[in-house]
Amino acid sequence: MTSTTAVLSQTQVTRSPATAVRQTVALAKRSTLELFRQPAIVLPSMIFPLFFAFLGNSSFGRTTSLPGFPKVSSYLQFQLAGTITQGVLFGSVTGAAALATDIENGFFDRLLAAPTSRTGILFGRLAGSVLFGALETAVFIFALLPFGADVSAGIRGIMAMIVSGALISLAVGALMSSVALKTGSSEAVQGTFPLLFILLFFSSAFFPRETMTGVYKTIAGLNPISHLVEGLRALSLEGFTASATARAILVPLAIAIVALFIANRQLRSRLKSH
Amino acid sequence: MTSSPIIAENLVRHFGDVQAVKGINLEIKAGEIFGFLGPNGAGKSTAVRMLTTLLRPTSGTARVAGYDVVKDADMVRRSIGVALQDAAIDPLMTGAELLALQAVLYGIPQSLMKKRSDELLERVGLTAAASRRVSTYSGGMRRRLDLALSLIHQPTVLFLDEPTTGLDPMSRLTLWEEVRRLNKEGTTVMLTTQYLEEADQLADRIAIIDHGKIVREGRPVDLKASVGAPTLIIKTHADQEARAKAVLETFGDLRPGAEGALGVGLRGGAAQVTEVVRKLDESGVHVQHLEINEPSLDDVFAEATGYRLEGSDNAPPAGDNGVEEPDKKKKSRRGRK
Amino acid sequence: MNTATHTSTHTMISEKDLHTTTMRSAGELIKRSLINTRRLPSAFFPTLAMPIFNMVSFSGTFFALTKLPNFPTDRSVNWFMPLGLAMGSAFSGVGLGFSLIRDLENGFYDRLRMSPTSRVSLIVGPVLATWIRVTLVSVVVFIAGFLLGARPTAGLLSYVCSLAAALGISTIGAGWGLGLGYRFQDMRGAAIMQLSIFLTMFMSTAQVPLNVMTGWLHTVARLNPITNIFRLSRSGWVNQTDPGYMSWSNAYGGLLAIGVLSVLSLIFALQSLKNIDN
Repeated sequence: MTSTTAVLSQTQVTRSPATAVRQTVALAKRSTLELFRQPAIVLPSMIFPLFFAFLGNSSFGRTTSLPGFPKVSSYLQFQLAGTITQGVLFGSVTGAAALATDIENGFFDRLLAAPTSRTGILFGRLAGSVLFGALETAVFIFALLPFGADVSAGIRGIMAMIVSGALISLAVGALMSSVALKTGSSEAVQGTFPLLFILLFFSSAFFPRETMTGVYKTIAGLNPISHLVEGLRALSLEGFTASATARAILVPLAIAIVALFIANRQLRSRLKSH
Repeated sequence: MTSSPIIAENLVRHFGDVQAVKGINLEIKAGEIFGFLGPNGAGKSTAVRMLTTLLRPTSGTARVAGYDVVKDADMVRRSIGVALQDAAIDPLMTGAELLALQAVLYGIPQSLMKKRSDELLERVGLTAAASRRVSTYSGGMRRRLDLALSLIHQPTVLFLDEPTTGLDPMSRLTLWEEVRRLNKEGTTVMLTTQYLEEADQLADRIAIIDHGKIVREGRPVDLKASVGAPTLIIKTHADQEARAKAVLETFGDLRPGAEGALGVGLRGGAAQVTEVVRKLDESGVHVQHLEINEPSLDDVFAEATGYRLEGSDNAPPAGDNGVEEPDKKKKSRRGRK
Repeated sequence: MNTATHTSTHTMISEKDLHTTTMRSAGELIKRSLINTRRLPSAFFPTLAMPIFNMVSFSGTFFALTKLPNFPTDRSVNWFMPLGLAMGSAFSGVGLGFSLIRDLENGFYDRLRMSPTSRVSLIVGPVLATWIRVTLVSVVVFIAGFLLGARPTAGLLSYVCSLAAALGISTIGAGWGLGLGYRFQDMRGAAIMQLSIFLTMFMSTAQVPLNVMTGWLHTVARLNPITNIFRLSRSGWVNQTDPGYMSWSNAYGGLLAIGVLSVLSLIFALQSLKNIDN
């Protein structure tokens, strides 16, 4: 019958961009709410980094005059970038773990069975992480500002930092989503947590690379997290310069693009094989 | 033992607002098998946990093997063996290792340990599996090991909490034989169960527990006799039920039937069946199904509590075919039966 | 089940033959604890890896601390090896709480509680097993530290004091972990254990000496008994000219803190066990 064939061919044709956007927004809402409704996530990704920032300030306040330490108004000013990276890192892993849980308990398949845009599923999940990352960054900046974490780049610098935080979330979230899509196991995703933790330590998140020596310094130099952190830090310390903004935004953006590409590939391969 | 091995007086246990056990009085005589019969959530396991020193009574007292369960808990522990509902074992250890640990914890002399363990392993049929980790045992094997662990010190009083729940029919029968054998050797046994047949077959005396209280107590044969009249069960259309009930009421007390059936205790005996059917027919009731049951423990239970224990959730469980069962994770023990 | 062919060798055991002793029971429980450690290596590996990771990452990241004027030692690893050791020991103790919760959740702990053995043995056994694990881990950390450049400044005594501090911290962690485990009986207890130990350990001279600290941390750390334990642990690793160098007054504070806190935490554990039937 002509009417049924017309209906069939409509669903087979690529969905209109408008519906794709709507679906993505709906999924984004879901994943954002999910994140915010779990206090078990807020604690490690927001309270801990703040605690360590204050602990660090009281511990390393006297080290800012050491040779190799960049010029700072306080240790907190130095630490802000590391705190943001720490919080955003942990928050993004949780978003990806939720994706893996969706796969595990079958919700992912239900999404696939519905005429949902495929990339929408991925972006919806990532949108939640990105929003959370942006919010976290803002919270960290405004929580530490009154204690001496001045941002030389001013309001524009703060906006740039929030964008940077969001981009880091996107990058890490996409990478972790690849793991989620490939393994379909939330345990595997949670297992990357300690690895990220280790990576975070072997970087300049807590102390300047210039003060390190030997093999450790080399490793920290090769570590992409160091570069992410230093980009953010440049906005705190140097002011709203082109080089600072470029490092803060372009580095995470580049990583995010590569990560998204990988994640999309993983999504396709999962769709094909399942 | 001069006094009864298990005595409970007004035993009560609350968990916050939940009153799991509302005042239990018991006296279990030496050498008997005593059955505690009731559905899930009736308070059986809570009562057993109090008697075996695992839970402190909210009020009331209990004496087991002559000792107060609260004041002389250690002396009670030396005299009792307990096999709880979920086999209390460590999956990482082997059967032999667990028996050795149990022997030491009970203070069995070093010189007797190996002999005792070997005896028990043979008794429960686990000699071959003794050196394997318990995680590889089937559900039935774990129960058997649990039983062996409970017997290591030759207790005079044995508590079994739902010993055959989840077991296949074969394993259930072998366990019943073992309980009878232990009892013949002089062990007083208190067992809890949700299976009528188990209580009927094994117990010298039973107590029916419902919502934390004992509602009936006595020998199975006496309890059944007290119910007396045989039960006539009929099934009819829903819109004819009222009429059917009116007819049945004239022949005796109404009794609950399973799954929407109607029941009545025939005062005049089974011979009244023809008359009942005739009267139902005269009233325009169409009988879809009819059966007559001599009094059973199920009837005793129904008469005491107002509902039947025998139902779809009381059917024999799926068979245990020797496949490894996953460890059951237990939720918080608060508010458990 | 063997109902037909029942062996006639029937050992007769009566109540008076049962002779439980705390040490014998504790010994068997130590055996069990070690067997389980061996059979579940995935739980033990972090206990081994964490102290080494701590040592490496802290001494590398905060290498420049040693350049501060009057810093107690010239070697970064010397300063941070005791931190790695302390974190590992604290979590070994907490790990006991974790395996307790496992035992409680799967019902095995009922068996232990129903046995007539003393409640003390139920605690002493596992704690002693933790000591064995901590000693093994400490030896590995000492070796790794030496390879990274740590050099004792008081000979054998340096190692002895660090080991004593590690054992002390693990005992305190064990008592606390067990007590919380008995009270909560589920994973909430585990989360609280980890959090509380972590915070307590870090609000001390874990990362920097008192004279480097500023602000609130200085006040808190001065009052925190863990600071004394760190002083004990580091007394053989700081420069001989540093006021924190090996001496009775530097060791005494740590030993006292270990003694008092261990007793308190073990009493907490015992009381929690005795009240578990409420």
